[in-house]
Amino acid sequence: MNCTELRDRFDAYVAGTLSEAESAALESHLDGCIACHEALANRDRALGQTGGLPRSVVPPTDLWPGIEKQLASRRRFRGRVALPGWLLAAAAALLMVASSGGTVLFLRNWPGDRPAIQPSSHLTALESQYSAASAELTEALEKARSRLSPETVATIERSLRIIDQALAESRAALARDPGNQALEQLVMAAWRQKVDLLRRATALGQAG
Amino acid sequence: MRVPLVAALALAAVPLSAQQKIDRRIAIAPDASIRITNMAGITRVTGWDHDSIAVTGSIAPGAGFYFGGKGPVAKMGVERRDETLADPGSTLEVKVPRNARIWIKSGTANIEVTGLRGEAECASVSGSIRVEGSLTLLIAESMEGNLNASGPMDVVRLKGGAGTITIRGPRGDVMASTVGGAIVAMDGAVVRAHLETVSGTIAYDGSVDPRGTLESVTHSGDVTLRLPSDISAEFDLESFDGAIFFGLMARGAEKPFRGKPMSFTTGEGGSHVMVRSFKGEIRILKR
Repeated sequence: MNCTELRDRFDAYVAGTLSEAESAALESHLDGCIACHEALANRDRALGQTGGLPRSVVPPTDLWPGIEKQLASRRRFRGRVALPGWLLAAAAALLMVASSGGTVLFLRNWPGDRPAIQPSSHLTALESQYSAASAELTEALEKARSRLSPETVATIERSLRIIDQALAESRAALARDPGNQALEQLVMAAWRQKVDLLRRATALGQAG
Repeated sequence: MRVPLVAALALAAVPLSAQQKIDRRIAIAPDASIRITNMAGITRVTGWDHDSIAVTGSIAPGAGFYFGGKGPVAKMGVERRDETLADPGSTLEVKVPRNARIWIKSGTANIEVTGLRGEAECASVSGSIRVEGSLTLLIAESMEGNLNASGPMDVVRLKGGAGTITIRGPRGDVMASTVGGAIVAMDGAVVRAHLETVSGTIAYDGSVDPRGTLESVTHSGDVTLRLPSDISAEFDLESFDGAIFFGLMARGAEKPFRGKPMSFTTGEGGSHVMVRSFKGEIRILKR
């Protein structure tokens, strides 16, 4: 019986519902384990402190009048919203654009959460961001490079060559077939891999 | 709390002139957060049914060992005394409460973790990482080494570089990503899995939750998915310049498809299986 299993049996032990063998095993453990001994003492203290509390609490007044008043005020507020349909439609469209753009930007760090298909209009913007991040991280990696072993530097460079090759091939194919969503996904996957690798390599160098 | 802990750690960090054996232990909370640093050699962590940490092992000449902690936190590690020397290799054998949350950092040292039910975060530059257990969360990264995770873990995040990622018995939520290494996942029953490489191959053998997703993305590696023949799923397969073989229900030779995406539903749908490759082959086979 480990400490966690033993502590799960405290209630039964105090209530006297454990078998003799279980009680003996628990007491034997308590004799040799200060942490469990203290846990049992703390439990007794907590029960002592809460024992004086009332068993139930009756609300001092009826709550319903207050709730009803709040509901009534919300109904009144809803009744005042009387915008023209075209304005509501424009607001909804604006909200959708802002929301989808924000969602794409927010979720791009976790591939599993990405929408299966990313709109082409976002590709240029995302590539631009990945490219800027890649340039910054490459510069940081150059500064931290001396703190990495030659073997690690070689592995990083080899991995970057693999990614750059993949990126070049995917982008060339996309240039021949603009709007191909599968190719867009592969381009973004390559960028994601590149930035992630650079980030990890830079962190290693800086920690090194 | 912090000052006494730091003081205790400082006192405990003893430089050792020759390789020395260590044997230390302290009481700790059952769900304590434990940080372990050992840059070279090997670090083995084992979960046990005691509210304490026990450390044994051998510390390389010229290195120091520090160890301290109380209540919910503990910290230990091997540190170099001379930065101009190559990292000496040390061996740490650490026993921790099963529900502990551990954080292990390594340079070239291999990391092995077994018997934990809590959380583990392991990072190595070139060492391999092997984790077995039923953890609630595993995060592991190695730029060059292999990553190996076994057991029914709730959430798994593995990032490799050149090494192979092997996952046995994945459940729940899995994300594995590598550049040149392969990804192999077997005996899976995932709810959500995203497997991604650039030039490595991807192999998955297992089932997908009736409402789950299995995504595989690679540029030039081949993808092989072995799934139950009666899977109810929406398939979305595309290889820009590679062949697609769909042999889930085939009795004879598989017929390759080229240049066209394949989207279809088996059974009543429910699961979602997506594969993207630029020039690798995609094979969907029955288990």
